[in-house]
Amino acid sequence: MGTAEGASALRKFLGATGIAMFSAFTLLLVSCGGGGGSEGGDEPIRVGVVLPYSGVYAQLGEDITDGMNVYFEENKEIAGRPVELVREDEEADPQVGVQAARTLIEREGVDILTGAVATPTAYGIIDLIEREQMPFVISNALGNDATRRGVEYVFRTSGSSWQVTYPMGEYLAEEGVETIFVSAADYAAGQEMSTDFKDGFTSAGGEVVGEAYPPLGTNDYSTYLTEIRQADPEGSWSFFAGTDAVRFVQQYAQSGLKENTTLYGTGNLVDSDTLEAQGEAAIGAQTALFYASTLDTPENREFREKFQQQFDRPASVYAVQGYDAAWLIGEALKATDGNTEDTDALIEAMENVEFQSPRGPMRLDENHNPVQNIYIREARRQGGEIRNVVIDTIEEVQDPGQ
Amino acid sequence: MAAQTQAGQKTKSLAAAHAGTAAVLAGAVGLALVPLTGSTYLVSALTEILILSIFALSLGFLMGFPKLVSLGHAAFFGVGAYAAGLVAVHLAPNIVLTLVAGLVLSLMLAVVIGALSLRSTGIYFLMLTLALAQMVYVVAQKWESVTGGTNGFTGIPYPELFGLIEFDRASFYYLVLILAVASYFLLRAIVRSPFGRVLVGIGSNEQRVRAIGYGTRGYKLTAFVLAGAVAGVSGALWAHHSGIVAPVDLHWSHSAEALIMVIVGGAGTLIGPMLGAALVWLLENALNPYTERSTMIAGIVFILFVFFARNGVAGIVRNLWERIRR
Amino acid sequence: MGEIQALASHLLNGLAYGLLLFILAAGLSLIFGMMDVINLSHGSFFMLAGFIGVSLADDLGFWLALLATVGIVAAIGLAVELTLLRPLYNRDHLDQILLTFGLALVIEDASEWIFGSTIQSLGVPAALSGNASLLGVSIPAYRLAVIAVGLLLGAALYVLLEKTRVGAIIRAGVSNREMVSALGFNITAIFGGVFVFGLALAAFAGFMSAPILGVYAGLDFEILILTLIVVVIGGLGSLTGAFWASLLIGITQILGQAYFPDLAALVIYIVMAAVLLVRPQGLFQRKYA
Repeated sequence: MGTAEGASALRKFLGATGIAMFSAFTLLLVSCGGGGGSEGGDEPIRVGVVLPYSGVYAQLGEDITDGMNVYFEENKEIAGRPVELVREDEEADPQVGVQAARTLIEREGVDILTGAVATPTAYGIIDLIEREQMPFVISNALGNDATRRGVEYVFRTSGSSWQVTYPMGEYLAEEGVETIFVSAADYAAGQEMSTDFKDGFTSAGGEVVGEAYPPLGTNDYSTYLTEIRQADPEGSWSFFAGTDAVRFVQQYAQSGLKENTTLYGTGNLVDSDTLEAQGEAAIGAQTALFYASTLDTPENREFREKFQQQFDRPASVYAVQGYDAAWLIGEALKATDGNTEDTDALIEAMENVEFQSPRGPMRLDENHNPVQNIYIREARRQGGEIRNVVIDTIEEVQDPGQ
Repeated sequence: MAAQTQAGQKTKSLAAAHAGTAAVLAGAVGLALVPLTGSTYLVSALTEILILSIFALSLGFLMGFPKLVSLGHAAFFGVGAYAAGLVAVHLAPNIVLTLVAGLVLSLMLAVVIGALSLRSTGIYFLMLTLALAQMVYVVAQKWESVTGGTNGFTGIPYPELFGLIEFDRASFYYLVLILAVASYFLLRAIVRSPFGRVLVGIGSNEQRVRAIGYGTRGYKLTAFVLAGAVAGVSGALWAHHSGIVAPVDLHWSHSAEALIMVIVGGAGTLIGPMLGAALVWLLENALNPYTERSTMIAGIVFILFVFFARNGVAGIVRNLWERIRR
Repeated sequence: MGEIQALASHLLNGLAYGLLLFILAAGLSLIFGMMDVINLSHGSFFMLAGFIGVSLADDLGFWLALLATVGIVAAIGLAVELTLLRPLYNRDHLDQILLTFGLALVIEDASEWIFGSTIQSLGVPAALSGNASLLGVSIPAYRLAVIAVGLLLGAALYVLLEKTRVGAIIRAGVSNREMVSALGFNITAIFGGVFVFGLALAAFAGFMSAPILGVYAGLDFEILILTLIVVVIGGLGSLTGAFWASLLIGITQILGQAYFPDLAALVIYIVMAAVLLVRPQGLFQRKYA
């Protein structure tokens, strides 16, 4: 009896050991890749990058990262410290993105953070880095509040929603477009963009003759296209991105609306990530953005050459945003002599960085958002491919800051 | 003779039960030691896994015993997260308040969704839960003044307990660990109660249970509400942990993820879904640094489970144990 | 453009959209109803067809690429049926869910690997570009073609299932599997045939949708949910059900967008919930198990 009891106790113990082994295995896997930064003369400077590397926005993530690589290829070491990019996938989910940022801070011990394609991700990361007091360079998300909150750790090298919408609204009204139909994807960014556009357009005397807000991921836009046809406006302004942009622009062309009603929008509408899929359907669309691949400046030519050489594909606006983010980080670190410990000094150095951006003149305002030109571009067939050609420039556009 | 065998079986199953208890407690003790390693990342990651394991546990209870396969479970998780987040931000980050808010709101939602969807069975039930949960998802997107719309809202702090404890990363981890263990033992006690036996009966043959004279609808609804409430608690913890609540918490893909956790872990057990949550989390997160094809690897692992590990992670652990016993 | 014309235009567009859904859902409904297999990878084959179609269309032209795509996807489907699905016919639904979900993940990631992660699209054939006019309403010619093809295919399927010997066997299989095998038919082979045929329909729909929806990794699950909704509303295994449910979803979706824009994202779920609350087994349930 006693031995039997002893044996069963042993079995229980072994059973528990089995579970414990599974747990230990789990722990091992979880802790894999654990780094942790510490400081020292030639310790690498670790730059945490949170961008989408899977899903529909993966190309944006790749472009931004490669844009950064153009800069860091020439600046492999800063003040004697090698620079390392540590990447985490933002996916299309703000929580994954915020978690990724947390992983970079906690597990990888990064010195500075950059990235965020989606605005909700950026907002989530801002909360995090404010607590952690870590500089964060937003390299895409356009949400106005990201910089308007005035968090001193936050910088941006793309622009604000207001910058790509309000000035174009004013511009179109001043150019004599009297009536416009506004449509935008029904989510926070779509609402912000369309509100700012309408403000700009109506403040300059234009009239919005109709509005439609299709849900994100709408398959069939025919209803909205019918509404546009009914309203019969001079122009149709839209904010759609990614798959929505492809579907909207294609169905817009298929419906025949394009012939009488010019399609206007933000740069997202006919962008490098959608143009190939849109093809002919994109031609004639006029969009506003802080960059155009066709800009004829020495900085742009040089950047595009390097990018093409290094990655064997043309550079997109996202690559430019990434390049400028890397520039901002790199030049500031040069100024602090590679010191990443003194955050205040680093931020001051970042505020004083002078840009040589492919996009043309660029400086940061007091909220750390770029003051930059907004280009009105038209999609045209040029030399066998469809490109956004600059037809006008609105100079030195600054976000109103509130 | 027959009585003797029966008694023998009873002691045997009792021993197995105790061994199970011992194993779970041993695992919990092991997990309790982790913060001593000093790795903040490990603590964060395990907090996340444990919260998800509570979520998977609640669905596993539903799928394993009354055999109700729901594709809308994220609704309860998400509503729990929103409720806790809103209370924490607008009222007070008191853990009792936020947990109760998450629990009560998800419980009420579960009553509504359960009452409507339990009219159907099988795939129709599954699709009804999906439809109703997606409606909650759209409401969260549209009701901007409260939910922050598609952006969700951020700035949810770690909780506190009446000024006695200000939770930080490590202490919050212990809180989650305690709640995970408690949820497990609570649901296990329920499964083993007379009520639980009726649920198991419904799972294997509902008609017979009804023929005996039980109103099965009431039992199923109670189980559904219970599972919803536990999911709500896990959502509330999630809000504190991630600091951000967004509509994606309510999305059907989150429900599908829980469903996969349960199946991979081993439906029909309670510990299985919790282990399944850990495995799915690992497949989604731990492979990323090494390969860009982690999604494909996850898919292949799931397919291999179907062929070579029919009883999921729980089955593998049990086999391991049986082998050691011999 | 008057209100009546707008309404007519909405109805025509809804019809086109609904018929695309029907082609997609018909296959899934048969697989469901007859084989009692929950196939979560149905949308993946739809997406795969889009990717393959886009890469073939440049060289082969639209119509030849359509044929080739359907053939390739059907071949892949056959391989999947033989190796993965066949051993699982008698396993429970949870195993099938896990298997087909795993398969869907593999197909999605493989597609992203092979075809890239950018959105792709297919141009409509020259003959179908531009606008057509029907009943005084202008509608893209391609959509009119989709309506025509959908109706033809629906009629062909109806004849196949209701008027032919093969159809009779399949219908018998949906309502009583055991009886069919007791009568001496090779039920495994019939299952395989139905599965591959269902995927061929999905591939056809995937190709035809590419000019309207575009193709990208992620389209698979989006489409899967929509298809499941149609199948469930129609009733498992009922082709008639799938037909009417597709039109119901297609048209209410479009009308919902037009007249209740705030509810646009909800419409299909409201319709499904309403149908299932009134008829818990869908509109045209065939199987009385």
